[in-house]
Amino acid sequence: MDFNEFFYLINLTVYAFLIGSLLLGLHRKIMAKIQLRPGPPIIQYLLHTLKFYFKEITFPITAGNPLYIFMPILQIIVWLSALILAVKLESSLLIIIGLYVLQKIVEHGCGLSSGSPYGKLGGVRSVFSAAAEIPLFAVVSTVYIVTNSLIISDIVSYQQIHGPLILKLPISAFAFFILLVSKAPNSPFGIVKGKDIVSGYLTEHFGLLAGLIYIGDAIAYFVLLWLFIAIFLGISNIFLALPFMILITFIISIINGLTPLLAPHHSVMLQITIAIVVLLDLLHRVIFL
Amino acid sequence: MIDGGIFGIVPFGDIIFKYSMFSTIGFVIAITFTILVYLTKPEKQLEAQKFGEDKLIDIPLHELKNRRYMAIVCGIATAGAMLTQDIFDFALFLTLVGIANIGIVSAVKREHVLNASFQYGLTSIIATLPLFGASALILAKTGTLSILELHHLNKNLLFEKILYGLGMAGETGVAPYYAAKAEMFRAPGSPYILMIHLSSLLLIVRTVEILLTI
Repeated sequence: MDFNEFFYLINLTVYAFLIGSLLLGLHRKIMAKIQLRPGPPIIQYLLHTLKFYFKEITFPITAGNPLYIFMPILQIIVWLSALILAVKLESSLLIIIGLYVLQKIVEHGCGLSSGSPYGKLGGVRSVFSAAAEIPLFAVVSTVYIVTNSLIISDIVSYQQIHGPLILKLPISAFAFFILLVSKAPNSPFGIVKGKDIVSGYLTEHFGLLAGLIYIGDAIAYFVLLWLFIAIFLGISNIFLALPFMILITFIISIINGLTPLLAPHHSVMLQITIAIVVLLDLLHRVIFL
Repeated sequence: MIDGGIFGIVPFGDIIFKYSMFSTIGFVIAITFTILVYLTKPEKQLEAQKFGEDKLIDIPLHELKNRRYMAIVCGIATAGAMLTQDIFDFALFLTLVGIANIGIVSAVKREHVLNASFQYGLTSIIATLPLFGASALILAKTGTLSILELHHLNKNLLFEKILYGLGMAGETGVAPYYAAKAEMFRAPGSPYILMIHLSSLLLIVRTVEILLTI
């Protein structure tokens, strides 16, 4: 890897973090406006993240180390890898999904390794909500059946010839969009970080470790939005994708602002219902196309 | 193209390991977590008591040793499952992970955890029927169990794939079989419990890759 490439990766990481943070700030602002509050400034998420770097670090006496420290670092590793493999290398979609499921491990690991009952509940809920991954695998399979490849650059090229996949695979696009909704803050599916269990798996991570998790969350939001736009709209350029990212954030904010947090079993059952619909769509395409 | 390009193939007689970008990342993750499980001391869980002050639950040394051993077996089996290029070998790795998962929680002396482990064990045993049945059907239909060979044959294996997927779902305890497994996660000892979760997730992704390839 030469210096230019290294410089590009640094730029890409900073860009993804800044855009992800600002979009999460925008999300919070729109939600506040819907609820007739002025809300914090759009840069609040960014300030919030930086704030944690000046806070004192302490470790709970109940924590299981080094797992407790490793989990926030893993979050950063996972999403930086996903960013490079997706945006820079435009590699296999299956690898990105494989990295995405590691986010579940981060949630579970953060929750359980702290020894806190709230973290533990967040971790157990993260296992319950693994049902959200089934539609994702069905989406990947459906995309493969239509485009005959899982390499992101091939999928984008396919759409340049045949038009956006969102028109051909509306059910898959909907399932992926629900995934985006479930990953956004204050989502109706956000049972893992529900306020009924304080902050779920994040409860016992503070200071620098919380800062790392916040950076990971911002990059994750950027990568997931980029993936949706690249796979279903065929736009892989990070600058051209930006207006669509703002639009999708706007729609997600309205949904999250108007819907209450679902009970864990309702959230899981709704996601399983979506999974069944996408699996039926997949089966239909396998048999009849 | 599914797995992002092949780095190399290592044949050990019948057993063939493939290093693609996908399988190498999965292998590295499984091995990293296995090392982490070996190094991590379990957390102390704080439990509210009906009378008196809250109590810190510690894991005794003999229990810790048993569970750590099973978690390492689980990690190694998962790493093997990431690389293998044989459907039967993959099914064997899956069942080994199932056995190790039960082993990880069976040393916990709590009734609800043992009940959940027993129920997961039943699901896991039942799931071996579609899993190995699908492998046998694929062999009977195509004459091979090699994923590399099946990729070039272009046979219609829809029924066998559905059976294989069902077997994997039961073995890894995903929806709709997850209820018993999620109860197992209530046991103390985060590194070992985490290995159960990690192995399931990696094996699901790997199964999707296999089903799309063959």
